[in-house]
Amino acid sequence: MSFEYFNTILMPMLEGAQMTVLLFLIAILVSIPLGFLLTLMARSSIRPVAWLAQIYIYVMRGTPLLLQLLFICFGLPMLPVIGEYLVMDRFVAACLGFILNYAAYFAEIFRGGLLAIDKGQYEAAQVLGLNKWQTMTRVILPQMFRVALPAVSNESVTLVKDTALLYAVAVPELLHYAQTAVNRDFTIMPFLFAGIIYLLITLFLTILFKWLEKRFKFQ
Amino acid sequence: MSIIEVSNLKKSYEKLDVLKGITFNVNKNDVVAVVGPSGSGKSTMLRSLVHLEEISGGSIRVSGEDLVKDGVYSKPQEIKRITSKMGMVFQHFNLFPHLTVKENLELAPRMARKEENSVIQRRSTELLEKIGLTDKATAYPANLSGGQKQRVAIARALMMGPEILLFDEPTSALDPELTGEVLQVMKKLAEDQMTMIVVTHEMGFAKEVANRAIFMDNGEIIETGHPDELFTNPKFERTRSFLIRSLK
Repeated sequence: MSFEYFNTILMPMLEGAQMTVLLFLIAILVSIPLGFLLTLMARSSIRPVAWLAQIYIYVMRGTPLLLQLLFICFGLPMLPVIGEYLVMDRFVAACLGFILNYAAYFAEIFRGGLLAIDKGQYEAAQVLGLNKWQTMTRVILPQMFRVALPAVSNESVTLVKDTALLYAVAVPELLHYAQTAVNRDFTIMPFLFAGIIYLLITLFLTILFKWLEKRFKFQ
Repeated sequence: MSIIEVSNLKKSYEKLDVLKGITFNVNKNDVVAVVGPSGSGKSTMLRSLVHLEEISGGSIRVSGEDLVKDGVYSKPQEIKRITSKMGMVFQHFNLFPHLTVKENLELAPRMARKEENSVIQRRSTELLEKIGLTDKATAYPANLSGGQKQRVAIARALMMGPEILLFDEPTSALDPELTGEVLQVMKKLAEDQMTMIVVTHEMGFAKEVANRAIFMDNGEIIETGHPDELFTNPKFERTRSFLIRSLK
C-alpha cells in the first residue's frame, strides 16, 4: 500500500474521527451529570419521582441503543400532530439518543457507588454535626465517585465504540468514511486504519482513567 | 450534677423490645462502663443518646435539656444542638477514607461550626500530639493500623469539644495487641476529667478506669455499681454468670 494512498484517505478519516470524538465528548459530559441526577431521583423519598426514574432507567437499559437512535431520528417525526416539530438535525438527534441512553447506565453505576458506602459514614457525619448537604458533598459523593471510577472508565470506552452506531443514522463519522473508502478503492486498509484510530482514542482514555484512579487512591 | 438523665427508655422494632424501660444517670466527670452480653441492647442505648436511634418511649435529658420527653422529641434544631454536646467513637472507627488524618479532624469544625482556620489548625495539631500521631497528619486512614485509626477517631470527636464522649465497643474490632494504645488514650481522657460512657468488653479497663459500671441483659439494666464491687461481688445471678463466661 503506497504512502500516497494513505495520504488521500487520511484527511477524510480524521474528519470522521473528529465527529466521533465530538459526539463522545458531548455524550459523556452531559450524560454523567444527568445520570447522577437520575441516581438521586431513583432513591428519592417522593415515590412518583423514584418510580419515574426507575422506569426510565429500565426502558433505556432494556432496549437497544440502535433502536433508540432510529426512534429519535426517524420515529419521532412520524408522530401525528407533533411529529413535524420533532425533526432534528441528525447529529443533534444522535447526541440526544446517546445522552439519554448513557445517562441510564451512569445512573446505575452511581447507584452501585452509593451502595458501596458504609452506613457508618453517614452516622459519623451526623454525630459530627454535618448537615445533609455537607454530608452528601463532603463525605458521600467523593467516595461514590471514587468507587464508580473503574466502571465509568469502562463505560466511556464502550461509548467510544458505540459512536459507530452513527453509521446507521447516516451521520458521517469515522466508520462511515472507512466504509466508503473500502468500497471505492477495494482495499481493507481503511478498516485497519479506522481500527487504529479507535484504539488510539481508547488508549488515551485508558491512560487518563488510570491516572485518575491513581490520583484518587487515598493511600 | 447529672449531665445525662435517662428515664424509662424504651425501644422496639416491630414486636421485638430491644430496650425495656431503662433508667440511669451519668454525673459530670463520670466514667461509666456498660457491660453485658451481645444483643443486650447496650449499643442501642448508647446510640439513642446521640439520636442515631429513634426511641419508642421514655425521656433523655442532656445537661438539663430535653432531647426526648415521654417519647416526644424536641424540634430538629434543638435535637441537633443538644446532641452536639456529645461526641461518639464507633466500633469500626468510621473515619472518612478520602480525607487525610488532619482533614478528618478538621472537616466538622470547618463545615458544621464555621470556626476560624487558625483556631482549628491549632487544635488539630494539639490533639494529634495528644494521641501521638503527629507524624501521621497527612496519611490516609487506609495506611493506619486499627489502633491508630481509633485514636484518630477519638481525636476527631474531641475536635468538636464535646462535654460527653460516648464509646461504642471502641476496641472490639482491634487485634488484641492494638487495644492497649486505644485504652491508653481513653485513660488519659479520664484523667483529664472527661465524662465518658463506654460500652465495652474490656473488663480490665472497666475495672481500672471506670468509676461506675452498668450491667445490661436482655434490654434491661440488671445492676449498677462501682466496678470493683459489681465485678467481684455481683448481687444477681445473671451478672455472675455473665462475668464467669466473659472472664474465661
